[in-house]
Amino acid sequence: MEQLIKTFEPEFHKNYLLYVLNKKLPSSQNSMDTNRSVLMYFALSGLDILGEIENLPKERKRSIIKWIYSLQIVNKEELVSGFQGSPTLNTRTNKTGNTSYKWSHVANTYACLSSLLILGDDLSRVNKQAILESLETLQLPDGSFKGAKEGVENDMRFVYCAACICYILDDWSAINIERMIEFILNSISYDGGIGQGPELESHCGSTFCAIASLALSNNLDRLTKAQFVALRRWLLFRFDRGFNGRPNKPVDTCYSFWTGGALKILDSYDFIHDQFNAQFVLLTQDRYGGFSKWVNIVPDPMHTCLGLAGLSLMEFDGLEEMNYELMLTKRTFEHLRRVQEKMK
Amino acid sequence: MSDYSSDENDDYVLYKNRPEWSDITPLAQDDNEEPIVAIDYTENFKDCYDYFRAIVQKKEISERALELTQTAANLNPANYTVWQYRRDILKGLDKDLHEELEFVEKIILKQSKNYQVWHHRKVLVEWLKDPSKEKYLTEHVLSKDAKNYHAWQHRQWVIKTFKLYDGELDYVDLLLKDDIRNNSAWNQRYFVINNTTGFTEEVLRQEIEYTLSRIREITENESAWNYLRGLLLHDKAGLSNNTTVKAFVEELYESNNRSPFLLAIIVDMCLEQVGAGGGDSNYSAKRAVELCKDLMEKFDTVRANYWQHMLDSIGSESGEGTSGN
Repeated sequence: MEQLIKTFEPEFHKNYLLYVLNKKLPSSQNSMDTNRSVLMYFALSGLDILGEIENLPKERKRSIIKWIYSLQIVNKEELVSGFQGSPTLNTRTNKTGNTSYKWSHVANTYACLSSLLILGDDLSRVNKQAILESLETLQLPDGSFKGAKEGVENDMRFVYCAACICYILDDWSAINIERMIEFILNSISYDGGIGQGPELESHCGSTFCAIASLALSNNLDRLTKAQFVALRRWLLFRFDRGFNGRPNKPVDTCYSFWTGGALKILDSYDFIHDQFNAQFVLLTQDRYGGFSKWVNIVPDPMHTCLGLAGLSLMEFDGLEEMNYELMLTKRTFEHLRRVQEKMK
Repeated sequence: MSDYSSDENDDYVLYKNRPEWSDITPLAQDDNEEPIVAIDYTENFKDCYDYFRAIVQKKEISERALELTQTAANLNPANYTVWQYRRDILKGLDKDLHEELEFVEKIILKQSKNYQVWHHRKVLVEWLKDPSKEKYLTEHVLSKDAKNYHAWQHRQWVIKTFKLYDGELDYVDLLLKDDIRNNSAWNQRYFVINNTTGFTEEVLRQEIEYTLSRIREITENESAWNYLRGLLLHDKAGLSNNTTVKAFVEELYESNNRSPFLLAIIVDMCLEQVGAGGGDSNYSAKRAVELCKDLMEKFDTVRANYWQHMLDSIGSESGEGTSGN
């Protein structure tokens, strides 16, 4: 049996996240190729929570920002503006032009905007109007959002991405908020939790996305008292000396943020005894850095970021405080406020 | 993820060495001078995607393009552009979509938590208007992981779109016999009833009987308790007026069972009665206070602060017991 780490090792995690950001991931990660901007977001966000963004060399920050902007698409004809997940389709000749299938994806637009903010960019090169025009076309009649122009599913994850984009760009005019709320309310299950869509099983990932979207659009009060009470109860019962994502499922590091964050938004986090949660999350640290979903398995950037975010909710020493709804640190949130002032 | 890419195949020929591709100039990815979260692509990956970049721009609809997307999808099944382009080729060439169902099935069975492959499957089923293989496929996936969210989502979509509710409750029963704690199966039970008979008085009576006997088997099973609460949402009399449920919880309590789910539902029954003016003196504010104390001190200590909060609000409101938000 491997030796388990029980104390928090921020230095290990910093090194792990810097490795993800700066070195080459092994080819076993080929299937992450279309989602590199999301991996980047997890790495940067994790470093931000660790308070390490200021320690990134200035030139490196600049080159990351340049890389992110190289993924931006402005295509007002096809209405596919936003950010790509990676340069998979980009070649030397077409890099700046629009070609077939070069479409943005709402998760990548969200991840790229968040990453730019973490790095201190002022979003001045973001084509806000083009992004919003395209976002409008992604909302479906049921109020949900599909991920991209064609060929991608629709669910609560993309509702959240859309809400974050509108919040960050400080403009909700492109989307139908009423319909979005309707979709969220229709996805509340008989047990009080919220699924990826109507009638689907309640899940803490989708519940976080739903609650955060309501909060970001200033619509938390659209939950009735009965809905609020049942949802809070359901979330609180996800705690089993660590958080799980669904009833009778094992606890998993990422839910220390998804469930914990949802409880924070509902101002109910203090109702659980989080010392046990800290113990569980710490046990999922890898001895070479990073967090994994369960004890003794391979770490990954998502669980590392969410593990750190989960520890931040517990006010761990040395970790930046979070803005729960946006899943960004308060430091970055303050920066966003200043950027928004300038945008006006 | 690479375990079924073509990398291990000795006979594999790179696209740059295939005569049928000699007219195409491969296009390398432009990853900027300083790539971020770079991936150490294998030679096969780079080679395949260099040709992919070259023909996707031209929107070439051909047999060779179809073959290329198969390799590209195998190398990275999460690349939604590859799947979208492949669908356009399938349509353009008027291909046999049943063969395609088999192709994507193989990938689904290996990568059953990949969004893109399930989406591809869904589109094919929509095009074919043939859902005949979907129940079998999802059952296969669920036999390995009975709580796979993608499989359930696909199954619900197929059942709802093509009205395939027949036999579904039997399947749910089978899964619950195997694992009475399977929350996905409980959710499916609710889904089926809600979309077929609805929760009529008769159905409600039967479902309550069924659920109570499942709770009797394992009283700490949150899924079953949640389902019971879901059923009672359809009882016009509310949570605290169903005589069968009341008799059940009282009997369980008398037998010294102290499952937090049992105590919690009695607390809620008390609060409902108190809020409604206290028709049933057995469900009083005083009893709720005592149960909250028991929960915080003995039976659900990890949520002690919550039960304390509930207790406090009973005192202050002597009503709904919640502060809302």
